[in-house]
Amino acid sequence: MRIPGVTHGPVQRAIHVLRPLLCGVLLLALPWAHASGKNVKPDPDGLPPQDVKDLHYGDVLFYFYQDDYFDSITRLLAAMELNRLPNTQGEAELLLGGLYLSLGEHVEAGRIFEKLLAGNASENVRNKAWFYLGKVWYQRGYLEESERALRQVSDKIQPRISAERYMLLAQLMLRQQRYDDAIAALSAWHGAPDWTAYAQFNLGVALVRTGRLPEAISHLDQVGRMETSSEELLALRDKANLALGFALLQAERAADARPILQRVRLDGPYSSKALLGVGWADSALGEFKRALVPWLALRKRNLLDSAVQESYLTVPYAYNQLGATGQAADFYNSAIESFDAEMKRIDGSIEQIRAGNLLDRLLNDDKKDTLTWYWQLKTLPDAPESRYLYQLLAGNEFQEGLKNYRELEFMSRNLDDWREDLSAFNDMLDTRQQAYNEELPKADAVMAATDLDALTQKRVDFESRINQIEKSNDFAALGTAEEQQNWARLKRIDEYLSLHPNDTELDEMRDRLRLLKGVMYWRLSQSFKARLWNERRTVKELEASLADTQTRTILVKQARQNMPNNTGAFAVQVGAVSARIEGLQQRLTALSERQNRFLQTLAIRELELQKQRIEVYQVQARYELAAIYDKASDKPATDKSKVRP
Amino acid sequence: MNLKSRLVSIVWRGGILGVAWAIGAGMPVLAANANANANAPAAAPARAPAAAVSTAAPTAVAPAVPAAAPDPAATVGAAAPGTPVSDAPPGDFKTLDQEVQGMKKDVIDLNKDLFVLQEELLFPANTQVAVYVSMDVGSFFALDSVTLKIDNKEVKNYLYTAREAEALLKGGVQEIYLGNLKVGKHELVAFFTGKGPMERDYKRGATVNFDKGVGAKYLELKITDRVSKHQPEFKIKDWE
Repeated sequence: MRIPGVTHGPVQRAIHVLRPLLCGVLLLALPWAHASGKNVKPDPDGLPPQDVKDLHYGDVLFYFYQDDYFDSITRLLAAMELNRLPNTQGEAELLLGGLYLSLGEHVEAGRIFEKLLAGNASENVRNKAWFYLGKVWYQRGYLEESERALRQVSDKIQPRISAERYMLLAQLMLRQQRYDDAIAALSAWHGAPDWTAYAQFNLGVALVRTGRLPEAISHLDQVGRMETSSEELLALRDKANLALGFALLQAERAADARPILQRVRLDGPYSSKALLGVGWADSALGEFKRALVPWLALRKRNLLDSAVQESYLTVPYAYNQLGATGQAADFYNSAIESFDAEMKRIDGSIEQIRAGNLLDRLLNDDKKDTLTWYWQLKTLPDAPESRYLYQLLAGNEFQEGLKNYRELEFMSRNLDDWREDLSAFNDMLDTRQQAYNEELPKADAVMAATDLDALTQKRVDFESRINQIEKSNDFAALGTAEEQQNWARLKRIDEYLSLHPNDTELDEMRDRLRLLKGVMYWRLSQSFKARLWNERRTVKELEASLADTQTRTILVKQARQNMPNNTGAFAVQVGAVSARIEGLQQRLTALSERQNRFLQTLAIRELELQKQRIEVYQVQARYELAAIYDKASDKPATDKSKVRP
Repeated sequence: MNLKSRLVSIVWRGGILGVAWAIGAGMPVLAANANANANAPAAAPARAPAAAVSTAAPTAVAPAVPAAAPDPAATVGAAAPGTPVSDAPPGDFKTLDQEVQGMKKDVIDLNKDLFVLQEELLFPANTQVAVYVSMDVGSFFALDSVTLKIDNKEVKNYLYTAREAEALLKGGVQEIYLGNLKVGKHELVAFFTGKGPMERDYKRGATVNFDKGVGAKYLELKITDRVSKHQPEFKIKDWE
């Protein structure tokens, strides 16, 4: 079952209009929101596109643009805490305010806006932020705050917003019964034709409220005659005609009231009341037969409608006036039966609501994964009590309360999810600790076997040796093993020959030795520089490796020391948030229960009021019926035959 | 005044007030509440008929309109969009509303703390690698999916919904991958598939070699329009 007033009526239209408007205030915070994509219309009031300044800000927007405001705000707050928005701090603050607003956190949003907007925000940004804040406060019934915010908006703003702002202020005054203020504000206002119609209507209403009907007539009549094809304005036109018609009836001008009431469309939302009014106008003019036409038509409609309920009494009243007492009695009897049945149904529904679960049933088909300020219940469960709740659910009070209840449920599920995650975190920390305990002996063994000081000393010795070789030009020292071996052999031969300097038989050997030494020396000296450079490079590599090893050793030592501390710190944090979750869950449960009771009370109050009204009507019907019988019993027998008790 | 006339008066006044309370003024946007009330006819008269009865002085039987008419101001005045009786949230509502607001703020703060804790626990900065996807303009490319390989190992294959693709077009940046890597050199390869110019199937790749240091590493996969060539362009930016 869909709620007519919500799904197709002005409420729904209002939501459709409000939603992009709300996004509008958020977009103020998005200077680089690209608008040139095929399907994306640029925001005329937005700032020019820019490059990505902070990845994490873009990440926040990714969720924001999908209307996932809860994830968006979580990521935004985390990014702010971790100082990840160095280039988008200003926009981030404004976006945060907008996100709070979109989540219905108007108090927090107001706090942020008030802080930000006192600063260097542009007039355009300031105006829009105050306007939307004022609008949300108005919706939530925070009228003083709303007026304060709306009065902060300057006149340098889009005509559409300016018109809406004036209208909101006027409505605020009407709600606060400040009729003279409202009249003054509305009389001075001029705007677009559609807004003018609303202004005229509200002005007419305010004038009637202050007893100035003659002045009100022209305003309401103007709205009641307007040419339009817009369903919304047609409804307003009906409303104006209805208001004016009944005001004229009050002023004892039934003849004037009738044509006004006849202007109301028969298929519109106000047709029942108009039919009732037309009947009363006819009746006031003494034309009871004529009055029966609208009243009988009305009587065929749904009994839940108060106008229809009244027609159950007005129809026999008219018959009675026409002298058709038998028909009057029949209709009174029928009314009594219908009222009786209706009251029993209401009693049954009250019992159902008292038994609990009303809200859970209402939210049963709701898509539960979003949290937005503009959420509204669109369908009613197929339950007996639903038929009585249309009125209640179309009202702000219940819808806002239901929204709060739904949000509490959302938060409860969110906390449950985190609770599971925290359990996994605890397992993970345990596993880490266990792995640490297992790996620790191995790590310690490796560390013990690694003498970094000795290795460092070896590198130092090696470098000294290289320096010595370079200094002494010890070419052979850098030769290959074979070269060094050959060089040693030549040296040994040289030593032998030195011991026998006068042995002529060794002269040939001496010559060969000289030749070989020369060749060998030339080879070694030729490659000495290259070999020395290689050795120096090796020393440097060794040095780097040693430094790396030292760093790793330090890291391992730190990790060895910190690991238990880190794990412990995380465990402490996990424990702390677990406790917070538990605390919040308890508060949530209690608050949900109170919210549930509050809404149940509203629902029951609504049903009891309906029942009381029907009871009054029933008493009236019984009384009139009794009067007819009394009258019949006082008359001659021929007349009595008209009455069928 | 006899009982009969009083009861007739009640009906009459109930009717008048019923209409009156149900009439909501308003405005195209914010008359939601009032308009909704107007659409729901049943409860309205029950809100205040009794108040009007006390001043009634009806004639005997006939609910004569002029005589029985209640105060006109009371009748039509209620047509204001937000009558105090019907619209203003009662004290209970405001108290509860403020408590729910406080509760929500606490839960949001907790979520933030848990988000930070989760990241520090699972993706510590010394090993953290995050890859992001951004789209600038997007006239020449409609994104369907992205596949990521790090060091030749597939770490992510992500299919985009229309809603996500639109969020990217509007300026959102998606954190497509968050993982851990050791300090050192690594290679990231990204494959983009979707519809290119002329609605043709389009697949392109981009590669980057990067050094993972001791701090967190952020890489951005940028999809941009190369207007001069009427082609999309795919780049990977290494955020230091």
